[in-house]
Amino acid sequence: MMNNEHYRELGGREFRDHCISLCRSGFTLRLMFATDERENEGCFKIYVVFSETGKDSFQIPFLKLKGDDLSYHGLTPDIPAVHWYEREIHDMFGLTPEGHPDLRRLVFHDSFPGDSYPLRKDWKISEAELREWGEGLVRKEPYHFMEVKGEGVYEIPVGPVHAGIIEPGHFRFSAVGETIFFLEPRLFYTHKGTEKLFEGFGFSEGVRLAERVSGTSSFSHGTAYCMAVERMSGTDIPEKAKAIRTLLLELERLYNHVGDIGNMCAGTGLAVGYAAGALIKEKLMQLNERVSGSRYLRGVNVIGGVTKDIFQYADDILTTLETATGDYKAFMKLLLGAISHVERLENAGQLSREIAMKLGVTGVAARASGVNDDIRKAHPHLLYDRLEFEPHTTTRGDVFARMMVRAEEAECSISMIHALLERNYGRELAAEVKDVSPHACALGYTESPRGSLFYWVKSDAEGRPLRVKLRSPSYCNWPAVPFAVHGNIVPDFPLCNKSFNLSYSGCDM
Amino acid sequence: MEYLQFIVIIIFSPLIQGIIKKVKAAMQGRVGPGVFQPYYDLVRLLKKEMVISGVTSWVFRATPFIVFASTVAAAMIIPVITTRSPFSAMGDVIALIYIFALGRFFMALAGLDAGTAFGGEGSSREMAVAMLVEPMMMLSIFTAAIAAGSTNIAVIAEKQDIFYSPSHVLALSAFIVAVVAETGRIPVDNPDTHLELTMIHEGMLLEYSGRYLALMEWAHFMKQMLLFTLAVDIFFPLGIPAATGLPGLAASFGIYSLKMVLMAVLMAAIESSRAKLRFFQLPSLLGGAFVLALLSLLTYIMMGK
Repeated sequence: MMNNEHYRELGGREFRDHCISLCRSGFTLRLMFATDERENEGCFKIYVVFSETGKDSFQIPFLKLKGDDLSYHGLTPDIPAVHWYEREIHDMFGLTPEGHPDLRRLVFHDSFPGDSYPLRKDWKISEAELREWGEGLVRKEPYHFMEVKGEGVYEIPVGPVHAGIIEPGHFRFSAVGETIFFLEPRLFYTHKGTEKLFEGFGFSEGVRLAERVSGTSSFSHGTAYCMAVERMSGTDIPEKAKAIRTLLLELERLYNHVGDIGNMCAGTGLAVGYAAGALIKEKLMQLNERVSGSRYLRGVNVIGGVTKDIFQYADDILTTLETATGDYKAFMKLLLGAISHVERLENAGQLSREIAMKLGVTGVAARASGVNDDIRKAHPHLLYDRLEFEPHTTTRGDVFARMMVRAEEAECSISMIHALLERNYGRELAAEVKDVSPHACALGYTESPRGSLFYWVKSDAEGRPLRVKLRSPSYCNWPAVPFAVHGNIVPDFPLCNKSFNLSYSGCDM
Repeated sequence: MEYLQFIVIIIFSPLIQGIIKKVKAAMQGRVGPGVFQPYYDLVRLLKKEMVISGVTSWVFRATPFIVFASTVAAAMIIPVITTRSPFSAMGDVIALIYIFALGRFFMALAGLDAGTAFGGEGSSREMAVAMLVEPMMMLSIFTAAIAAGSTNIAVIAEKQDIFYSPSHVLALSAFIVAVVAETGRIPVDNPDTHLELTMIHEGMLLEYSGRYLALMEWAHFMKQMLLFTLAVDIFFPLGIPAATGLPGLAASFGIYSLKMVLMAVLMAAIESSRAKLRFFQLPSLLGGAFVLALLSLLTYIMMGK
C-alpha cells in the first residue's frame, strides 16, 4: 500500500504560516487533533490534516508543545474551519490557542471542573468527584449563551429534551417575529468519552466500539477504524474483503439516503411520503439483517478483513434491490410531484458555497452547496478506484438541493452494488494481522452517508493504543446549521435541520 | 327529544376524530389505531394527575371550562338531526362564529399565560390565522344566508331548493378551506406533529395536562364535528327533516352519520395529499378563499341564484 500521509514537524509561527498557506492554496482541511506524548517525547503534539487537491495525498504538519507554556498561535482567525477543533483541544488537553475569538467550553458542560483535562495521560478521577459531576449538582463553569439585543428580539430555548425520540441537543433561537436572527446550538450532552475508551481497549477490540459511535453509520465507522489500524500495522486486506466492505458501505449509504429523504417529509407534514420512505428503508434494513445478522451491519468488520462472505447472498441482495429500486422510483415521483412539498424545500435553509468552504462542511451538505468533495474520489480506497461514479454536486445549497444530491447518490449506490456483484474476487475473507509496531500511526477514512469520516490511530511503546482520534462528519457540519437557518422562519427550522440530518451521538462522541 | 340533539355532537365527536385518523393511516399504508382510540385517550387523560405551572393565573385554570362550555353552547344552536332546534332562537350563524371566537380568545390567553416560548408562538400564530379565517368564513356563509333570507341556521337548512348553483360551489370551496384552517389541519397546521417549533393549535395546549387537557381536546373534537355539521347544514341540507318523531329522527340520524363519515374521509384525503404550507404563505391560501367567498356573493347577487 502506498503511503499517502506526509508528516512534517514545524515550530511555532512556522506551523501557523504553513497551515494558512496550505489552506490558501486550496488544500482541504480534514481534521485537527492533539496527542499527549509527554511520556516518550516530553511534549504535546498538535496535528492538522490537509487533503491535497486532485491528488491522493495528505499533508500533515504538526507542532510540538514542550515545557510549561501550553499555548500556541491559534489558527481560527485565518482558518475558521478549525474553530471547534481548537476549542475541543482546549477542553481535553488544556492547550490554549492564542487569538481564538471564542474560547468558551465546547465539549464539557457546567458541572465539569475547568482544570480537568481528560485526554491527558495522567488524568485521574475519584469516585466522589465522578458522582458529583454525574449528578450535575455543582455548576463549576457557567456557560454564557450569545445574546442578541434590540427591539423585538426574543429568545426561544428548545431542548435539550425533545418531543420526538431523538438525542439531546439545545437550540437557542433569537428571533424577530417569526424570522430567525441567530441560532446557537449547544451539543455534547451525551459525551461518552469514546476517544478515552479506545485507549483502554486493544486495537482489535476497538472495532466493536467504533461500530457503536453512531448507529446509522456503524459500518462506515467500523471500516474507517479497521483501515487505520490495518494501515498502521502494514496489513493488506484480501480483494474479497475489499469488495464486501465496499458493497456494505454502499448498502449503508442507500438505506440512509432513502430514510433521510423520507424524513424530510416529516418536516413538511407530508405524512404519505414519510411513510413511503420509512417502508423502503425498513426493507433495506431487513436485507442488512439477512446478509450480516445486524440491521446496522455490525459484526462484519474485523481488523484484517471481514467475518462473513456477503456474496453468498448475492441473489437475495439483487431481488431485494430490484423491488426497492421500483419502490424508490415511485417514491421519488410522488415527492417531486407533490408541489406543496417541493415548494417548502426550495430556497429553505440555504447554505452558501463560501460558508460551506470556510467551515469545512462535508458530505451531502457540501456537495449540495457546490463543494465537489467526496472521499471516495479524492482518496480512492477499497475498490472505489475501479468503480465508475461521479460525485453529484449542485450549487443551489437549499433543502431541495440536499434532497436531490441524496436522491442521485442513492441511484448511484444501486448501480455500484450491481457492478460489484458482477465480478469475482478470490475466496479469502481476512488477512493475517501483523503486530502493531510501537510508535506507529496512520489515518483511516471513508465517505460515510453523512460525509467524510476520519480515524487517526497511534500506538505506544508496547503497541497498544496511545491515541485514537475520530472525526465524524456531523462534527464538521453542526456549526454550519446556524448559517443555513439564518433568515428563515422559526417553523422551517425542523425542515432545515432534517435536511442536514446530523447525528448527535456521532458529534458528542 | 329534539332538545337533546346537541348530545350527538358531544358523544360522537371523538369517533369522527378516530375515523379521520384511521383513514389517514390507511392512506399511509399503516393499520393505525382503532376508531375508538380518541375515547380511550380522553378517559386516560381524565384519570391522570395534572401538572400546572406555578406562574399561571386564573385564566389558565378557567380556560378549559370556558372553551368546553362555549363549544357546547355552539352545539346547541346548530340543527344536527332536525331543524326543529328549540335553542335556535338563542343565536344565529354570526353568534356561532363569535362563540367560537370566545373560546379561541381564551385559548390564546392561556397559551400566553404560562410564559413559555412555544405557548406564545402558538397564540400569536393562531390569532394571525384567525384574523384571516373569520371574515372569510362569515362571507362564505352569507351567500346562503342571503338566499334563505335569514342568518338563522335552521332556516337556511330548511330552504333546500335554492342551492346547487355556481355561487353555491364557490361558497362551499371557501368554506372547506375555513374548516381546514379552523380544525388545525394540513396545509394550515399539522395536528400530528411533535415539532414544537411548527405548532399552532398544539402549541397553545402544550402546558396542559390531565383533566384540563382532556376538556380542551374534547372541545376541539366537538368544534371539528360542529364545523362539519355546519357545512352539511348549509351546503347539503338534503335529508334533514323538520320532523320530531322518533322514526323520522332515526332516519335523519342515519343520513347525518353518512354525511359525517364522508366529511371525515374528505378531510383525511385533503390532509394526505398535501404538505403543510410555509407559514407566511398562509395568507395567500386564506386570502384566495376570501376572494372565492366574495365572488360567490357577487355571483348570487348578479345571477340571482
